[in-house]
Amino acid sequence: MLRFTLGKLVRTLSVLLGVSFLTFIIGHSSGDPVLLIVRGDATAQQKAELRHSLGLDRPVIEQYLSYLGNAVHGDLGTSYRQRVNVSRLIALRLPNSLELAGTAFLAAMTIGFALGMIAALNRGRVLDHAIAAFSVVGQVVPGFWLGMILVLVFAVHWPLLPVSGYGDLAHLILPAVTLAIPTLGRMTRLVRAGMLDVLSSDYIRTARAKGLTERQVLLHHASKNALLPLITQAGLELGDMVGSAFIIETVFAWPGIGRMTVNAVQQRDFLVVQGCVLVTAAGFVLINLAVDLLYAVIDPRVRARG
Amino acid sequence: MLKRSIPLIALAATALLGSCARNADRPFVVASVSDVSSLDPHLLDVNHPTGSVIWSLFDSLVRRGPDGADLPRLAATWERRDDLTWRFHLRHDVKFQDGSPFTAADVKFSVDRMNQPPFSALQQLWAQTTLREARVIDDYTIDLVTERPSVTMLYWLEEAFIAPQAYYSTHDQAYLNTHPLGSGPYQLTEWVPGDHVTLRANASYFNGVPAIKDVIFKVVPDLSARLNGLATGDIDLALELTPDTIAQANTAHSRGVEALGLRKLHFGIAQHSSLAALKDARVRQALNYAIDVPTMIKTLMHGSTSALTSVVNPPNSDPSLAPYGYHPDRARALLAAAGYPNGFDLDIDFTPMWGQDKDVSETVAGYLQAVGIRPHLHADEWNDFRRKLSDQAFDGLFYAGWAALISPSVELVIFTCHQEDNASGYCDPKYDQLVHAASTEYDDGKRKALTDVAQKIVWEQAYWIFLWRAPLYAGLSNRIDYQLRPDDYVEIYLAKPRS
Repeated sequence: MLRFTLGKLVRTLSVLLGVSFLTFIIGHSSGDPVLLIVRGDATAQQKAELRHSLGLDRPVIEQYLSYLGNAVHGDLGTSYRQRVNVSRLIALRLPNSLELAGTAFLAAMTIGFALGMIAALNRGRVLDHAIAAFSVVGQVVPGFWLGMILVLVFAVHWPLLPVSGYGDLAHLILPAVTLAIPTLGRMTRLVRAGMLDVLSSDYIRTARAKGLTERQVLLHHASKNALLPLITQAGLELGDMVGSAFIIETVFAWPGIGRMTVNAVQQRDFLVVQGCVLVTAAGFVLINLAVDLLYAVIDPRVRARG
Repeated sequence: MLKRSIPLIALAATALLGSCARNADRPFVVASVSDVSSLDPHLLDVNHPTGSVIWSLFDSLVRRGPDGADLPRLAATWERRDDLTWRFHLRHDVKFQDGSPFTAADVKFSVDRMNQPPFSALQQLWAQTTLREARVIDDYTIDLVTERPSVTMLYWLEEAFIAPQAYYSTHDQAYLNTHPLGSGPYQLTEWVPGDHVTLRANASYFNGVPAIKDVIFKVVPDLSARLNGLATGDIDLALELTPDTIAQANTAHSRGVEALGLRKLHFGIAQHSSLAALKDARVRQALNYAIDVPTMIKTLMHGSTSALTSVVNPPNSDPSLAPYGYHPDRARALLAAAGYPNGFDLDIDFTPMWGQDKDVSETVAGYLQAVGIRPHLHADEWNDFRRKLSDQAFDGLFYAGWAALISPSVELVIFTCHQEDNASGYCDPKYDQLVHAASTEYDDGKRKALTDVAQKIVWEQAYWIFLWRAPLYAGLSNRIDYQLRPDDYVEIYLAKPRS
């Protein structure tokens, strides 16, 4: 198990290194941040001075190595644009993203699981079809449209909730619901399929034959086994929610890391892009690592394959 | 059952509390697309939102009125001692927000600081006025000495903000970016990057305490979120609305407001192009005659602006100039006379920076096609477009806005040889001579004569395809009175609550 864990860790670190290198090279070859900072009539000398003071006149590889050296010590550099420490910017934004994604994730998982179970138990009935319709629609509706409709209904027409912005619990509800619904749809369908699969297996027939109540069969035998394949999907969904919430964050003016990343890309604020990508990638990789390890704990066959 | 309803009750209570708080005496909320970039007054990069916040926190010697007038602020009076020396007499009663007194030493410190990197990359005062030295005469008198006479001294001083020497010379840059200290009408309460800046009125402001006490500059990037905020009363001033959404700003809580901005929208015409046709004035005139500007204003711009009549904004524009007008026959005849009866291929670049870029560019392409030109549209990302501007890398037309300012000397400079932002690449020594002579001529009459001749050259040689002045669209709460400034700055100090 130790060797397995170490192997996974080494892979994780090399993925992060690769991500940081690619981001740096692609970023630097895509444009000049100095042009976006100075005013239109700045002279060539003014631009050169600024380029020098930001350290952008050094060779890219040298910039990357010094960046890497500092990053190992926890210093992610200073934003060209806001001239604030990147770690501080991320520290300000990341908790907001986690709050939003975490809430949406929990809601999607619990409600998705419940709906999937209900659908499976009512297979072929009206309720099953209704849930299937809901989950398909939830999966295909674009997030920005759903967000705007929810705002129009619950914040403008009936002013129950705030229109947008970051604040108390009420501010969290609409963006979290918007972010949760596509995942909710996917989870519902997965749980339903998994449940139906498990319910038709031999050990469930045995459990029923032992004379257990349907409730005991479902909760103790069926649901645990139906849960297993969901772990992988859940890990992916969580990573996705943190990293790709850009549109939801824009629609709801939510100060998260997704919007910060896209703004930084537009402004060629390389060190901010670098920091955000690194943190998001690390989140992704760590979730995957956790999923892998969790699998290995649950299923010894995975460990053997390494 | 009761247990299960608790979250619902809590939700309803939160919502009710929320709507009560809305009616109370709450801050003035300004919603903008982007966030401020730094709160260091000498890193001011754009008029809004960074500039709007800096204008609230800091003072300059002279303040620019919404109509372009030079109003006394930290300087009570000023005079020109000779062609190269401006003398400013400072107010005696000004204190910075930490209670320390304001003196000429702070002015010298701030002016000198603007000439050092990284500030010098953003600040124009030294380069534009040929400033050589700031000389302290006594605690309340300072001289600014230039190399050449400078008619734009007051103009650039209006963007030169005064920071206290003691504070700004003892803290490091990272701290100063987020902890501003000025003498302005407001002071900073909080800045949460990416979300909001909160300001509070400076209760001991020397020029009169502001009418609006609490202000929040909020980042709301989505247009419909800004409109929804107006409708619910959560936003008091929603900026950067569009011609097709301005009507939606008329709600129970708010109204749509418009102003004629100072930025002049146009198509630049690349002179370094591989296309020789664009160097021919007849072709450039033909491009102007081919386009129906009034119809575009009516259909695309909500009718809220009018056709340009000069490269210089009123009141300094030459009144004898008139729009080209829509004359496609004349355009065809001029193209034929220039040797292009069958037109030519023409690149048109645009970028989402000045609003309605795609609609305007496509419409213009349609008009040009009608006179036989074969336009090819290119949508550029802003960084790419900016690079092409700076490298003079356009090969045809490019849709752009020029200069939110009122100062002929600064406006005309764009066509002078080797000027940094001369993206079209014009170079006419006769024109340069006129513009340079005007920028060092203190006599109003003589200067006007010079700038009128320069304007006429730009107009008759058709240096641009002339469109219109960019209108500004915003939504304003019914509880506030405020006139939008044409230069994009939001000066909260001038806003008043409605009685």
